Amino acid sequence: MKIPEVSETETINRRALFLGAGAAGVFSILATRLFYLQVTKAEDYRVLSEDNRFNYNLLVPARGDIRDRFGERLAINRQDYRVELIPERTKDIDATLDKVEKIVPLSAAERKRILKDVKENSSFVPVLIKENLGWPAFSKLNIRIHNLEGIIPTVGSVRSYPNAGIFSHTLGYVGRASSAEVEEDRDPLLRQPTFRTGKTGVEAAMEKDLRGSSGRLKVEVNARGRIVREWPDPQTQAKAGSDVFITLDAQLQRFAAEQFIDADGETDSGGVAVIDVITGEVRTLLSMPTFDGNLFVSGLTQNDMNSMNNDPKRPQFNKVLGGGYPPASTYKMVVMLAALESGLIDPANPIFCVGKVRLGNRNFHCWSRRGHGPMTMRQALKNSCDSYFYEIAHVLGIEKIANMARRLGLGQTYDIGVAGQRRGIVPDPEWKQGRLGTAWRDGDTFNTAIGQGFTLATPLQLSVMCARLANMEKAVVPSLLIGQELPAFSNLDVNREHLAFVNEAMWSVCNEPGGTAYKPNGLEIPGHQMAGKTGTGQVRGISTSERDSGVRKNSKLPWKLRDHSIFVGFAPYDAPRFAVGTIVEHGGSGAKRAAQISRAVLAEALRRDGLGTTPVSDSDAVNETPTGANNTIGGVSGRNGTSSSSNLPPRL
Amino acid sequence: MTRASTYRRQSYPEAGAGLREKLYGLNWLLPALIAVVGAIGVMMIFAATDGVWSHGAAQHAIRIVVAMGVMVLVALVNIRVWYTLSYPVYLIALALLFGVEFFGINVNGSQRWLDLGPVRLQPSEIMKPAIVLALARYYHDLASWRVSSALGLFGALILISIPMALILNQPDLGTTLLLAATGVIIVFLAGVNWRVMWMSMLGLMVAIPLFFKFGLKEYQRARILTFFDPSRDPSGASYHITQSKIALGSGGLNGKGFMKGTQRQGEYVPENRTDFIFTVIGEEFGFIGSLMTIGIYICVISLCVWISWKCKAVFSKLLILGITTTFTLYIFINLGMVMGLAPVVGVPLPLISYGGTVVLVVMFGFGLILSAHLHRNVELPRSSD
Repeated sequence: MKIPEVSETETINRRALFLGAGAAGVFSILATRLFYLQVTKAEDYRVLSEDNRFNYNLLVPARGDIRDRFGERLAINRQDYRVELIPERTKDIDATLDKVEKIVPLSAAERKRILKDVKENSSFVPVLIKENLGWPAFSKLNIRIHNLEGIIPTVGSVRSYPNAGIFSHTLGYVGRASSAEVEEDRDPLLRQPTFRTGKTGVEAAMEKDLRGSSGRLKVEVNARGRIVREWPDPQTQAKAGSDVFITLDAQLQRFAAEQFIDADGETDSGGVAVIDVITGEVRTLLSMPTFDGNLFVSGLTQNDMNSMNNDPKRPQFNKVLGGGYPPASTYKMVVMLAALESGLIDPANPIFCVGKVRLGNRNFHCWSRRGHGPMTMRQALKNSCDSYFYEIAHVLGIEKIANMARRLGLGQTYDIGVAGQRRGIVPDPEWKQGRLGTAWRDGDTFNTAIGQGFTLATPLQLSVMCARLANMEKAVVPSLLIGQELPAFSNLDVNREHLAFVNEAMWSVCNEPGGTAYKPNGLEIPGHQMAGKTGTGQVRGISTSERDSGVRKNSKLPWKLRDHSIFVGFAPYDAPRFAVGTIVEHGGSGAKRAAQISRAVLAEALRRDGLGTTPVSDSDAVNETPTGANNTIGGVSGRNGTSSSSNLPPRL
Repeated sequence: MTRASTYRRQSYPEAGAGLREKLYGLNWLLPALIAVVGAIGVMMIFAATDGVWSHGAAQHAIRIVVAMGVMVLVALVNIRVWYTLSYPVYLIALALLFGVEFFGINVNGSQRWLDLGPVRLQPSEIMKPAIVLALARYYHDLASWRVSSALGLFGALILISIPMALILNQPDLGTTLLLAATGVIIVFLAGVNWRVMWMSMLGLMVAIPLFFKFGLKEYQRARILTFFDPSRDPSGASYHITQSKIALGSGGLNGKGFMKGTQRQGEYVPENRTDFIFTVIGEEFGFIGSLMTIGIYICVISLCVWISWKCKAVFSKLLILGITTTFTLYIFINLGMVMGLAPVVGVPLPLISYGGTVVLVVMFGFGLILSAHLHRNVELPRSSD
C-alpha cells in the first residue's frame, strides 16, 4: 500500500523547480520594471523629484521711505514687535494662549481668529497671535519664553508715519491689498498676508518705486511644505523699494499746522498750500485737522472710525486738494485782469458804491452796508468793494471772466501725482446749461464777480492762481514729487502791466491802512512785504429781513453757518518766492484766520528760504522811485509812503 | 518491532550529538545571507529616519540580532518536535486570531493587534508559519493517493480558509491573499494533479469578481481601483505609488548616494521606513543597489530551495518550500507595490522593513528551515502508514 516515497518527494522537487522558474520569471519582470523606472525613465523622474523638492518663498522687500525736500523721513518702516505661535510645539494651545493672555490681553475675537488660523494651516506654520506689541509686553514675553511652549516673539517691519498725521493726507497710507488689486496687479507680493500696499496719496501714487521687487528664496521643502533647507542665491534677493522725495518742507508744514490751532487751543478746519512761485514746487500741502495714518496700517478700530466719521471737521477729508470752496473776493483779481484785458474798463475811473447794486428787482449787496463811496479799481480791491465788481462784471460779461479764471489755473486739476483733487468750478453759461440745464442770468454774473454763486476752488488752486499772478510770466503748474519729469510751463499770456497793476493792488490790501488785510510789517521780516487778498466765503443766504435788522455776526452763528475765511497771497512782494492759498472753514472773515495763517506761513517759508536770517541793510532796502508804469494803467500812484516799510517799486 | 527499533535508531541519529556538533552542522550560509539582508535593513531605516538611530534603525538592529538568536534556537530544536507541534501551533495561532476578533485593538479601522500586556501581537503574522507547519504536517500525514481526492482537498481547504476568513475580517487583504497563495502553492507542491489545479484556477476567476464586490471593505476596493486607474485619486492612494515611482526613478542607475535621497528627505513617500523602504534603496543606491538587494533575496530563496532538495521527509520539504514561498511572496508583493505593478497592500519587505513581528516570524521560519536541514536525516512517522 505504501506509495514509494521517492516518487512523492520527486514530485515536490519537480514542482519546486517549476515554481522556481516562475519565481525567476517574476523576478525578471521586477528587474525589467526597475530598469524601466531607474534607467529608461530616470530623467523624467529626476525632473519630477526636483519639482517636488523645491519651492520658492517670496522675500518681501523693504518699502522705500518717503522724505521731504531736505531728506527728512515722513514715512518709514518701523520695527514691529509681534508674537506668533507654532501649534505643533505646544500640547495645549488654549493653555498656552491663557499664559500669553496674562502678558498680552487677547480679545475673544482675536482668540477665535487664532484658533481658526491654527486649524487652517499645517501645524508647523506660525500663526500670528498679536502684532504691534509694546516694548514692555514684548520683553516680558521674551523673559517668560521658557514656559510658553510654541510661542515665538518676532520682529517684523511695519509702515509708520512719525509726524502725528500732519502729512497723512498727502502721504496717504498703506494697507492690505484688496482682492481687486490682487486681480489687477499680478505681483505675488500682494498675496502675502503681511504685505502692505499704498492705498492713497503718495503711497499709492509712487507705489511702483516704493515697493521694490520681491526676492525668491529657493527652499527645499518636504511633502507637507516644511522647509528642509534654504538655498540662498544672491540673484534672487529682494530689492528694497527706493526712497521717494517730495517737494514738501516738513518743518514748514509743521509750522503751518501749528498756525491752525486757534487762541482757544481748538484746531481750525481748513487747508493751506504754499507753492514756489518760480518752480511750482509745493512746499506745504496741509489739510486740518489731520488723522493718524498709523491707525490705518495697524487696522482701524470701530472707535477710531466713528470718532473720525462723526467729527464735523472731517479729519479724513483732504481739504487742500479735495475741498471746493467759493473763492469769494480772492476771485476779484480774475475779474480785474479780465477787465483790464478787455479795455472796457478804465481802472482809474471811480464807481460809486452805495452798499448795493440793483439788478432788475434784486439787490446785490456790498459787504459794506453803508457803501464805500467812489472807488477806483485799485481802491475797490484794497477795500474789497463788491459793488465795483458787480458793475464791471456786468459790463464785461461772464465769458471774459471765466476765460481769465481758467488761464490763472482755476477749474482744473494738476498732475501732481496724488489723486483726490477736486476740479472746482469756473462757472459760465455753457457750464450752467450743461450742469443745471438753465440759462445764464446776469445775477449769476454778479455772484461770480465776487467769487460766490457757483464758483468753487481748492486751496491748492488758489495758491496756483496766486503764483501765476506773482510769476507774471509763466503759467506755473504745481508739482509734488521730486524727480518727476515736468513739462515746461507755458506762457501765462496776460499783459505784464496788468499783472503788475493787480499785484500792486494786492500789495495795498496788506500794506496800506484800510486794506482788508492791513498789518504793518506783516511778515516781520525787515525790508520784505507781502501782497494778498482776503476772501469771505458765504455759506448761507442772508435774507432781506436779516439784512434790515443787521447781519448776524459770525461769532453769533453756529460753527457750520459761519463764513469761510479765505486768503491768497505771495511774498516777497518785490521778488516773489512763495504763493499761498488758505481756507479756514467757517473761520469768519478772510482778514482773520486765513490771513493770519497765510502771513505766518509765508514769513516762515521765507525765513526757511534764507530771507530775514541776516538783517537787511538800509541800502539794500528797496528805495527806488516808482516808474510811470502804474500811470499807464490808470495813474494810480499807490505808493503813498504810509506802509510800514519803505516804498516798493512797481513790479515790471 | 523491528520497524520501531529501526525507527528509534534512525530517528535520533544526533540524539547524542552535542550542541557543538549541532552548531557545526548548521547551514551557516543562510544566517550569513540573512544577516546581510538585515544589515541592509538597518542601513536603510537609518537613512529613512534621517540618520536618527533611535527612530528605528537601532531597534531594528537589536531585533535582527535577537531574532537570529531565536532562529538558531529554533534550528537546534529537533524537527520532530516541530512536526509534533505543528498542529498545536496552528491551533494556538487560530485561537489568537479568534482573540483578535473579540479583544483586538483597532488601529486605523482594522483590528489586527492583540495586546498581551507587555507585548503586542499580530496573530495574522504568527499564522503565516503556522499554516505552513499545519499544511506540511497535513500532507506529510496524507497518503499521496489522497492528495487529489475530494477529502484530501477538503482538509487542506479547511486548514487554509478558516484563518483566511478571520484575517479578511480584520480586515487585512494583503495577509489574506498571502496566506491564500501560500496555501495554494503548498497544495500544488504536495502533488495535487493538474486537472484539479486548472479547475480551481477557473473557480477563482469566477470567485474573484464576486469577492471584489462583496468581500472587500470600501478602502480596499478603492486601493485596487486606484491601482488600475491612478487618476481616480491623485492625492490619496495613488499619491503613494506616484511618489514611490518618483523616488525610484530619480535614483537613476547609481542613485543619489547614501543619506542623499531628496524624496526621502522631503518625506514624500509615506511609510518609507516600513512598507515603502525599497524606495529609499532605489533612490539612494539606484538601479544597481536595487538589483543587488533583489540579488541577495534570490540567493536566500535559491539556498532554501536547494536545502529542500536535501531533505527527504515530505514534512520538511513542504515546510521549507512553504516558508520560502511566504518569504518570496512578501518580496514579490512588496516590490510590485513599490514599483507600481501591484496595488498598495500593507506588505513589508521582509527583514528590511521596520517591524518587530515580521522579523521575528520570518526568522522563526528560517529557523524551521535550518532545523529541517540540520535534522534532514531524522525520519518522521507517517500516520497514514
